[in-house]
Amino acid sequence: MNRTFIVAIREYIATVATKGFMLGVLLPPVIMLAVFPLMQVLMNQKSPKVTGTIAVIDHSGVVAPKLAKAFEPDAQRERQKAKIERRKQAMGSVNVPVAGLDPEQMRKQQEAAVEMMTVESDIRLEPLPPTSDVEKEKEAILASVGREKDLDGTDKRLALLVVPAEAVKGGADGKYTPYQSFVAPKLDAEVQGDIEREARRAIIDARLEGANFDSKQIRTLMAEPEAKSVAVTKDGDRGTNRMAAIFVPMGFMMLLWISVFTAGQYLLTSLIEEKSSRVMELLLSAVSPLQLMVGKIVGQLGVGLTILGLYAGAGLATLIVFKQAHLLDPVMLGYLAIYFIIAFFTVAALMAAIGSAVSDIREAQSLMAPVMIVLMVPMMLWLPIQRNPNSIFAQVCSFLPPLSPFAMILRLSGSEKVPFWQVPASIAVGIGSVVVLCWAAAKIFRVGVLMYGKPPSLLGLIKWIKYA
Amino acid sequence: MSANAVEIRGITKRFRDKVAVSNVDLAIRAGSLCGFLGPNGAGKTTTIRMIMSIFYPDRGSISVLGKPSAIESKDRIGYLPEERGVYKKMKVGEFLTYMGRLKNLPSHGLDQKVRAWLDRMSLGEVYKKKCEELSKGMQQKVQFIAAVIHEPELIILDEPFSGLDPVNRRLLRTLIDEQNAAGRTVIFSTHAMFEAEQLCDHLFMINKGVKVLDQTIDDVWRTHDPRSVIIEPIESGPVDEGLIQSIPGVIGVTPAPRGAEVRMDESADPSRVMGELSSRLRLRRVELKRPSLEDIFISLVGADATPEGMAAYAERELVET
Repeated sequence: MNRTFIVAIREYIATVATKGFMLGVLLPPVIMLAVFPLMQVLMNQKSPKVTGTIAVIDHSGVVAPKLAKAFEPDAQRERQKAKIERRKQAMGSVNVPVAGLDPEQMRKQQEAAVEMMTVESDIRLEPLPPTSDVEKEKEAILASVGREKDLDGTDKRLALLVVPAEAVKGGADGKYTPYQSFVAPKLDAEVQGDIEREARRAIIDARLEGANFDSKQIRTLMAEPEAKSVAVTKDGDRGTNRMAAIFVPMGFMMLLWISVFTAGQYLLTSLIEEKSSRVMELLLSAVSPLQLMVGKIVGQLGVGLTILGLYAGAGLATLIVFKQAHLLDPVMLGYLAIYFIIAFFTVAALMAAIGSAVSDIREAQSLMAPVMIVLMVPMMLWLPIQRNPNSIFAQVCSFLPPLSPFAMILRLSGSEKVPFWQVPASIAVGIGSVVVLCWAAAKIFRVGVLMYGKPPSLLGLIKWIKYA
Repeated sequence: MSANAVEIRGITKRFRDKVAVSNVDLAIRAGSLCGFLGPNGAGKTTTIRMIMSIFYPDRGSISVLGKPSAIESKDRIGYLPEERGVYKKMKVGEFLTYMGRLKNLPSHGLDQKVRAWLDRMSLGEVYKKKCEELSKGMQQKVQFIAAVIHEPELIILDEPFSGLDPVNRRLLRTLIDEQNAAGRTVIFSTHAMFEAEQLCDHLFMINKGVKVLDQTIDDVWRTHDPRSVIIEPIESGPVDEGLIQSIPGVIGVTPAPRGAEVRMDESADPSRVMGELSSRLRLRRVELKRPSLEDIFISLVGADATPEGMAAYAERELVET
C-alpha cells in the first residue's frame, strides 16, 4: 500500500477515534436532535389550574354581589373561552410564515400554544363582613402560601379586596377613591389580572347603576371598533421564500466553515504533536516530507468530510422530517462538496505550513492570529451577501482566494440567480490558489519539520519558501 | 553492489554562517560495525541526517547502499534518531505496526513480528499500553525495535546508549552485535566510550565539523602506542626512582596511587623495559598503560583532562554553539 495512504489512514483514525472528537463533533447534533422533542414535551406542559378564594370586604354593599356573579363557575369558563378565542384571532392576524412551514400546520400549532398559555382558574368569592379586620384577613393569604389547600382544608385564599364605599359613591370632594387589592406573592399574573379587571368592572357597573344608567347598554356602546387588517403582498408565498433565503445560505456556509475549520485545527494540532514529541524524525526516516504532508492532509480531508457528511446528513434528515426537503436544491450539495474541497485545501495548506514551523501550540498562536482574522471574515460575509447576492462586493469576494468558496456558497444557495460563468471561474481561481498554496506549504514544511527553537514570523516563513 | 554501505565524498553543510560539517570523506564498509565519535555539537547528527537524506549537503556527494540518496533505499535502512519520540496516545503495538507498515512490511505476519520483538526486549506486557505510559528507557527500546523491525541492511543509531541503565546498555550491546553478526552494517554515534571500545571494528571521529580520526580499532590502538608502564611494588612506601631511571629508555617516573607510572622514550621496547623493571624491583603489578578511547578522544578534541583544560573546552564549546 502506498505510504501516503498509510499515513492518511493513521491520521484519520488517530483523529476520529478519540473521546474529544466524539464529544466535540458528534455530540452537538445529537443534542440538538434530542432537544427538539424535549422542547415539544416542555411546551405541552400546561400551567396548573389555579384554585382558591378571593375575600372581599365590601363597604359599599353593591360590589361584592356583582363580583360573586362574575366568579360563578359558568361565568369564569365563559370568560376563559372568550379569551382563548381573542388570542387565537390576534395570533392569526400577525401570522408570520416561518421558513416555509405549512400554514395549516402552523395555525394548529399556534392554537395549541394559545390554549397552553391560557391559565385555567377555579376561583370562588368569599364575602366578608365590612367590620372585618383587614390586617387579620391578610394573614390568611400569608398562611396559605405554598400550600395546596388551606390549613383547615378549605380552598386557600389568593387575594383580599377591600372596596371602600367612596370607591362607588365618590368622596366628599366628588372623587372616587381607589380600592385595595392584596394578593398572594406567587399568584399567576394572568389570574391576578383577571381578578382586578373584574373588580374594576364591578365597581364601574356599580357606579353606573348608582347614577341610574344601564351598565350593559353603556358597555355595548363603548365597545371599540376593531380593524381586520390584511397585509398586501405580490404573492402569498413571498414571505416563505424570504425566510428560506436568509437561513438556507447561512446553513450552507456554517456547514462549510465548521467542517473546514475543525479539520484544519486537527491538522495543526496533530502536526505540532509530532513535532513536539519528536516523532517527526522517526517518520521522516520512513517517508519523505512531502509524503508525510500529503498523507496528513488527505487524512484530515477524510475527517472534514466525515463532519460535513454528519452535519449535512443531520440537517437533511431534519428537513425531511419537517417535510421541508423541497427547500434544498440537490445541485447545491454538489457545489457544497466542490467548494468544501477548495476551502479545505486552502486552510490545510496554511495549517501545514504553520504547524511545521513551530515547536508547540503556544508558538503557533502568534502565527495563527493573522490567519484566523482572515478566516473569520466569511462569518461576516453572511449578512451583506445574503441581502444582495449579486452586489459588486459579493462578486469580488467570490474571486478572492480564501473567501471565494464561502462567498460562492452563500450566493449560490441564496435567492438570486448567480451568473453561471462565475461558478467555473471561481472554481478555477480556487484550484489555482490551492496549487500555489500547497506548493508553498510543501516548501515550508520541508524546512520546518526538523527546525526547533525560535519560531519564524510570517515574513520568515515566506523566506523559507525561497530557501527550500 | 559496492563494498561500501555508505560513501561520503567531501560533504559540507552550513547553517546560516555556521559550518556544521566541513569537507568530510567517509567510507563505511558493508558489514562493518562503526562507531561515530565526537564531542557535542561536532556535527555527528548533521552528518547522520545527511546520510538519511533528511538534510542535504551544500557540497559533496553521498551514496547509500549503492544509491545516490537514502530516499531510494529507505526500506533497507533502519534509523534511530537522536531526537526520538513516539506518538504519546498511540498504543505500543499499534505504533510499531504503523512504523513497520511505513517501512513497507506486509501487514500479514507483522503483528507476530512486533510481539516477538517486544518479548525479546522483555516488553511483552506493554503491547496494549499507550506509549506515554512507558519509561524513557522503555520508549527507547521500542524505538530501537522500530529501527530494526524491517531487517534493514544498514542500521544507523544516533546515540543509542544515552539514557539507558547498565542492564539495558548490555542488552542493546548484545542486540547491536547480533545485528552485525547477521551481516548488517551498523553505524552508531556515541559518547559512551566503553561501548564503542567493546563493539566497534571501525571508528571515526569528527570535531568541529572536521574528521579527525578514521581507523579500524586495531589501527587506533597501534597508532596510539602505549608509552608508559604502571608499576605497583609489593612493599608500600616510595619507589626507588633512581633505580628506575637507570633503565635504558626510561625518561621519567611519576608517582601514582600505590605505585608509579614509568614513561619511556620513542625508541624503547616496552617488553624489555617491563622485564628490567620486574627483575630490579619486587612488584605486585606491572602493566602497559593502554590509552583508553577516552584519552584518545580528549587528546583529539584538544582538551586536556585538567579542570582548567575542561573549562577552556567548555567555554569554546559555548562560544561556538
